[in-house]
Formats: sequence, C-alpha cells, structure tokens
Amino acid sequence: MTYFARKFGFFLATLWAVVTLNFLIPRLQPGDPAEIMVKRMAGKDAALDQAQVEAMRAMLGTPTDSLWHQYISYLGELIHGNFGLSYTYYPFPVTEVIAQAFWWTVVLVTIAQVLSFVGGVVLGAYAAWRRNSRFDSVVTLGSTFLGTLQPFWIGLLLLYVFGYSLGWFPTSGGYEEATPGWNWPFIQEAVSHAFLPALALLIVTPIGWILGMRNTMIMNLGEDYIRLAKAKGLPDRDVALKYAARNALLPSVTGFALALGGVLGGAILVETVFDYPGMGRLMGEAVEQKDYPLLQALMLLTTVGVLLANLVADLLYGVLDPRARRAEG
Amino acid sequence: MTLLDVRDLSVRYEPKASRPLDAVQGVTFSIEPGEFVGLIGESGSGKTTLGTALLRLLQRPGRISGGSIEFNGTDITSLPEDELRSLRWRDLSTVFQSSMNSLNPVVRVEAQFRDAIEQHSSLRGEAVTRRIRELFDMVIIDPKFMSAFPHELSGGMRQRVNLALALALDPKFILLDEPTTGLDVVVQHSILENVRRLQAEQGFAVLFISHDIGTVLDLSDRILVMYAGRIVEDQTAGALLRRPLHPYTKGLLGSYGDPREETVKITYVPGRPPDLSREMTGCSFAPRCPERIERCLETDPPLLPLLGGRAACHVAHLQHEEGGAGPHGEPKRGFEGPQFVKTADESRSALANEVVLSVENVSKVFERRRGFTVTRTEAVSDVSFELRRGEVTALVGQSGSGKSTLAKMITGVETPTEGRIVFHGPDGDKLVSGFKGRALRDYRSNVQMVFQDPYSSINPAKRLGYVLSRPLVNYQGLKGEELRERVKELLERVALTPAERFINRYGYELSGGQRQRVIIAKALAVEPEIIVADEPISSLDVSIRAEILELLNDLVKENDVGILYITHDLLSARMLSDEVIVLNNGKVVEKGPTLGVIRDPKDDYTRTLLDAIPNPF
Repeated sequence: MTYFARKFGFFLATLWAVVTLNFLIPRLQPGDPAEIMVKRMAGKDAALDQAQVEAMRAMLGTPTDSLWHQYISYLGELIHGNFGLSYTYYPFPVTEVIAQAFWWTVVLVTIAQVLSFVGGVVLGAYAAWRRNSRFDSVVTLGSTFLGTLQPFWIGLLLLYVFGYSLGWFPTSGGYEEATPGWNWPFIQEAVSHAFLPALALLIVTPIGWILGMRNTMIMNLGEDYIRLAKAKGLPDRDVALKYAARNALLPSVTGFALALGGVLGGAILVETVFDYPGMGRLMGEAVEQKDYPLLQALMLLTTVGVLLANLVADLLYGVLDPRARRAEG
Repeated sequence: MTLLDVRDLSVRYEPKASRPLDAVQGVTFSIEPGEFVGLIGESGSGKTTLGTALLRLLQRPGRISGGSIEFNGTDITSLPEDELRSLRWRDLSTVFQSSMNSLNPVVRVEAQFRDAIEQHSSLRGEAVTRRIRELFDMVIIDPKFMSAFPHELSGGMRQRVNLALALALDPKFILLDEPTTGLDVVVQHSILENVRRLQAEQGFAVLFISHDIGTVLDLSDRILVMYAGRIVEDQTAGALLRRPLHPYTKGLLGSYGDPREETVKITYVPGRPPDLSREMTGCSFAPRCPERIERCLETDPPLLPLLGGRAACHVAHLQHEEGGAGPHGEPKRGFEGPQFVKTADESRSALANEVVLSVENVSKVFERRRGFTVTRTEAVSDVSFELRRGEVTALVGQSGSGKSTLAKMITGVETPTEGRIVFHGPDGDKLVSGFKGRALRDYRSNVQMVFQDPYSSINPAKRLGYVLSRPLVNYQGLKGEELRERVKELLERVALTPAERFINRYGYELSGGQRQRVIIAKALAVEPEIIVADEPISSLDVSIRAEILELLNDLVKENDVGILYITHDLLSARMLSDEVIVLNNGKVVEKGPTLGVIRDPKDDYTRTLLDAIPNPF
C-alpha cells in the first residue's frame, strides 16, 4: 500500500510545484503588461499615452500587495476556478472559452487515442506471435512507411479527397446548424465533422503502439516462462495472451496513460487543419494572439492533465506489475 | 516397456546469416520407466538442444532433421501440436536451466499451477488448491507462499516451486536441464537431495542434464556422456566411475580430486571442442585426446556396445578385443593429459612469506535510508586476516556471506565502517580507505581484480592487442614498439601462444578459458602486488577449470603476487589456496591452513559446505 501512498504524495508535490511555477514565471518577465498591451495596440513607434496605460491597468487590475499576498490570492482564485478574462474573446472568462472547446477535443482525441492503442497493441501482438509471416511483414513495413508521415499532412490529403473533391464530409467546424445537445441531428453533424480529423489521427498514432508492442512481445517470447508455458501444454491462445501479451503490455501501459494526459492539449495541427473547435485550435489561437490568461490556463490544464495521467500510469503499473510495488516499497 | 526411445536423432540449426550446424548428430538411447539417467557434456556439446528436442520445443532456426523420438509407444517426432498438447506436462514435464525466469513474473505462483492442472485433469476449484498444497509440502515449502509472486521467492525457493510444478500431474518423465546451476552449493545440494527422494518415492523417470559430472554421478543410475553433438559413452554410474571407457569421460573424471589428500592431482582437457558447422573426418575428440591412434584421425568411431555399456572409441574397443595384451595396451583409468598438482608442502612454505596486506578487525555496516527510517545491515563483522606475497588465501562462503563486500573494501571501492586494512606496498604502508582520484589510481596499479564472468569483461568491439594495451598506456605510459612487445609478452605469459595469432583477434572469438586468460593478462599488465579473483572459474567448463587454476598458481610462484581467491567451492580452494577463511553471515567462522580446515573442519557451517561438494570417490 505504501507504493500507492508514495505515488500519490509525489503527485501532490509536483502539482504544487507546477501551480507555483505557473504563478512565478509571468512575474519574472520584465516589463509592465499594461504598457506592452497599449504599445501593441498603438503600434511600435507611437508615443506611450499615459491615460491609455492607466485605463489598461484598470482593466487588467494592478497588483499592489506583496508577492506573497499575490500568491495567496492566486491560489484562492485558482481553487474557485477563476483564471481571468480572455483577451481574444473579451469579455468572456477564460474558463468559459475553454469549457466550450473542452468536450470537442476530449471526445475526438480520446476516442482516437483509445482506438489507436487497442488496435496498435492487438496488431503488434499478433504480428509478434506470427513473426516473419506475411501478416507480420505487411504490418511492420506498412507501419514503418506510414510512421514517417505527419498526421496534419494526412489530414490535408483527406480534406482534399473526401472533403473537397468527393464532398462526402464537411471541411471545417464541429457542427452546422443543429442546436448542440443530446439530439439526433446534432450528433449526426458532430460525427461527420469529427470523422476526418479522427481518421487522420488513427492512421498515424497506432504505429508507435504496433512497433513497440511487437518488439517487446518478440523479446518476451524468448523468455523461459513462455517456453515453460508451451511445455505445460497450454493452448496457444493462453500462452499468447496470458503469458506473452500480458507481460509485453506493461511498457505500453505507461505510454498510453501519458498519451491520454496529452489529450487536453488537443491535436494542435490536425485541429487547425480541420478548423475543429477544440483545445488544440484554441491553444494555437492563444499563442498567435498573445492571449496570456488563456494561454496560462491552457498550460496549467495540460500540465495537470499529464500529471494526473502519470499518476494513473504509476498506480496502474503497480497493479499490473507486482515487481514495481516491491522494487520501491 | 521402454518409456523413451530415441533413435538416430539429429537436430540442425540453419541460421540465415551463417553456416548450418548439426548440434545433435544421430543420437540413439532409451530410458526405462523410473530410470534416473544423467546426461553430461560441456557447453556447446548439444545437451540442452537434445533436451529441448525431446520436449519438441525447438525454435527456429533449429529443427529435428532426422531420426525419431518414441514416448511410451507413441512416435512424437512429428506429432501435430494439438495431439502433442495432451501429452505435455501430464506425461512429460521439465525444470529448466534458468528457473529464475521460468515463472511468469506478473502472475501469482498458484495461478501458474492451476492453469496446468486444470488443462490436463478434471480437478477444479478447491481440489486444485489442495493438490497445490500437497505439492508444496513435497518440496518442503510453506504453502503460504502459494499466493506469492515469483519475485518474492528466493532463487532456491523458485527452483523448488518449479520442481513442484513439474510434479503437478504425476508425469512419467521429467527433464531436468541444469536445474541448480547458478544456485548456492548448499541450496543446490538440498534441492538435489529433494529430487532424489521424490524420484525414489514416485518412480518417475528423469533425464538429468548437467555439466557437473560429480553431481550426475551422485544421482544417476546411468550416464550418457555427450561430446560435439554425439553420445560418446553410455554406462551405469558405478561402471563409469570404476572403468570409464571414453578418454573424454576420463578427462571429466580427472577434473575431480579428493581435497583431503596430502597431494591432489587434477587433470584438464587441453584445446577446445570442434566447430560443428565444419566438416570433419575421424573422431571429433581426437585433436584433444592423449590416447589417439592413427585410425582415430581417419574414421569416425561408431557408438558400439562394450562391457555392458556403449562407447564410441576405437582405442577402447581395440583394447577390449585384444584383452589388454595387444599393441594398444591395457585400458587406462585416468586421463593422460596435462595435470595440475598441489601438495601441502608448498602451502607450508608460502605461509611463511612476507605479509602484503593486513585486514584488522574490519566491519562494514550498510545503512539504507528510506524517509525517516534507517535500516542497518552488517555485511562484514570483525574480520581479520593477512595475505602474504606468493600466497593464496581463499575466502569461502555462500552468497550473502559478505565475501564480495570484503573484496570491495580491499580493492578500495568501499570503506570499512570499523577496523582498518593496511597495504604493505613498495612505497611503505598505506591505509586502504576513502581513496579518490590519483590515490585510487595508484592503489589500483597494485591491486587488480579478476571477475567471474569472462564473457562480459572484454570489450567485444576491440581487438585483444588494444584491450591489453589500455592498462599499459594508462599506468605505465608505454607506446609504440615497446607497448607492442609488452602486450605480446603478456599474451605469452598466460600461454596464449603464439602471441601474434591472438593480438589481432576479438574476445568473442575465444573460448571461455582463453577469455579468462586474457582477463588475467590484463590484471597482470600493471604488475600488481595483489590480485583479487572473484570466482574466476565458476563460469568455465569443468574440463578446463584446472587449466586456469594452474595459471593462477604459476603466477603466485613466479611473480610473488598474493591472490585473494573468492569462491564457494572448497575443492578449488584446496587446489589453489594455502590458507582458507570461511565466512558465514559476515563473520569468520573458521580459518587456517587449507588442508587442515578441509580434513578436520571445526565449524558446522564448514562441514555443510564440505558435504555439498559432490564427491564421486
């Protein structure tokens, strides 16, 4: 049990460090944000209008307390989920902007990741079990070839062929006219909009899992416990699944949990190509527009996502591999 | 009826990248129900391949290329996997060589018994648990370990669990492939006792594969001797010991001696086994054989019945036909090859030499900090002894006895917690502790290590000339012609001659014994005062161990170095060392001249170690 307790403690400590750094880094940057904003709006060469700067300060709010008090109130705001107002979508609060994008990404990328993982692991395991067969050669060579391509480039191709030339799928956005919610027309529209981006991700993401699983499993197949399982006269399916695949899966599980953690960051390039209203596109926008509050919130969210995923991976690993529990416990 | 009948079995490996190789060549033998048969041979003789073939577990690029295996009346040579499966484990089970790895690491031990039992019997649920408990009792393990994961068991326990697993379905035949290699002598001994008792009680047949002829003689009814892919001798254990027929068997027997004798002689087989991927004419053992005659180089001797057994040797058959009175003389009992002799007298004089290292009341405590708790383990406690020039002190004990920790302190890797180690070097006395940087380097030019595993201690990407030149360049700043001369000299010193032939070769091209010679040459390069040799022969084949012992012995005599010889094997300690220190749980339990300790052990632990030496004589 100490294994799990320690992992959780480690998670809390890292989370605190991330939150604090997220507070400190912007404050360590030189310059007055209000002045910078005014300068940017007025143009580089224009003289600084003090009145405008004052107005901007009033709008952004000027910190007057000591750094310590600022930190305390920052933590307070954070707990209440207040990240400030977005510059780009002014006067909407950052949380609202993110909330709109959140589900689009989570649904699209999570489904793509889960399918990629399951498909990749199954294909990889089967290729390893039948290694040097035709199936194995096709899968391995195919993966190596496709693995060199980038999802956004495949996205562009898909967009051109199925969206533009054939017109089977819409080319941008998340839905058309339907009212968002649990109604049939909306779900239909959402699915047809998400299909191409998901496909772009599904062509490339499984490759890592396929090759990783295949290699680990081939290595595992040489182990003595596999030979012993065969000598025990167990059916092939049991040897392949309970002995070989079960052990070969371990390294992939950690990778998968981390990949899920990255979901919150969205798939920036793919979402941008398809103009998909998710977190990835939002992140791209925030960077382009220098929308600091939005960017800061997104960063915090993705880091926390990765941390959480890491925690889940550690805990899961402890369940799946009893050796990990003892090695550290 | 014969249980296992193997006829003319051949196994061929056909790797894509290199020449095909016949690892097993036309092997014929049979095993009766309840018979305990030993199969001995050195590494690369094809014994494990033969065992794997019997279980039909060969993996590509290996395959059965000829002959047949009949088990209990069924030909299993080409039986389809589906039909074979019902035979597996119920009739034929096995304990593998590295049983450390033969349990699935992520599944509880109980489940690994359960799947095999449920696959082949009608037992379910509680009945299976009862059976597993029964099996644990058989191998003397507390049944509470049923719910453990494999890593929670010690090496010895894992091997017992594997044995229990092999017995799960009352098989008719069990293949034991070096089941105790890598385990401690004492543990090894108790597991083999257990095997013998169970075999007597339950009457299953065993094929016991091992490289250790002592253990095989101890346990088996009958012994098959394998060399270069063939069986060269087949006799009952008693007859084989009394009257070995094949010179190779004589060589293996010659590698044992009685450590209690005043003068111990052990022989070794010079040279190395043939490359099986090359065509050869005549007897495959002929190049290494002291009894060889003209005919041996021309025709390959078939395995023919002789004196109730079988032997594949022209000389043995001729001698028998001639009745011992013909031109080929009487059959010889011993191996007339090179010999390594150790007398007790040598030790007496060595123990009067000048002291080069003194260890005074040394203790080592390891502290492990975890959060706020500190665990203290005393690895070595209050150990004192002296090492002399031209003398060998053996540090004997099983794993965990603290012998490696002591070696680390002597080589300056660890610092003693209490007590002191003094090196009486050429520059006066020096306290060995906390050496860093230059001081450590200077000290290392006086104290060198030879490790256990010669296979991983030579950089595989470099030629031997380079490997040996490194210490010379680093410590003595030699270069050019001088360096080359010195490298050659080192090679010749460890009998890798002619040096020109070895200087441009790679470590992996050499045999285990040759590699260990290179390691020793490397240690000699800096002309050390002390060599710490950590189990230098335990990974070598029995037939060549004496060769390395002899080399070390010569070094002691010629160069006046002191050797600290770390081992768990009292026989080799007797062969090499003048004084022996027996360690148990970090404490010295017995100390004295080697012969004295072996003849008249005072401590119980020393007695246990002595009993664990397989002694066929």
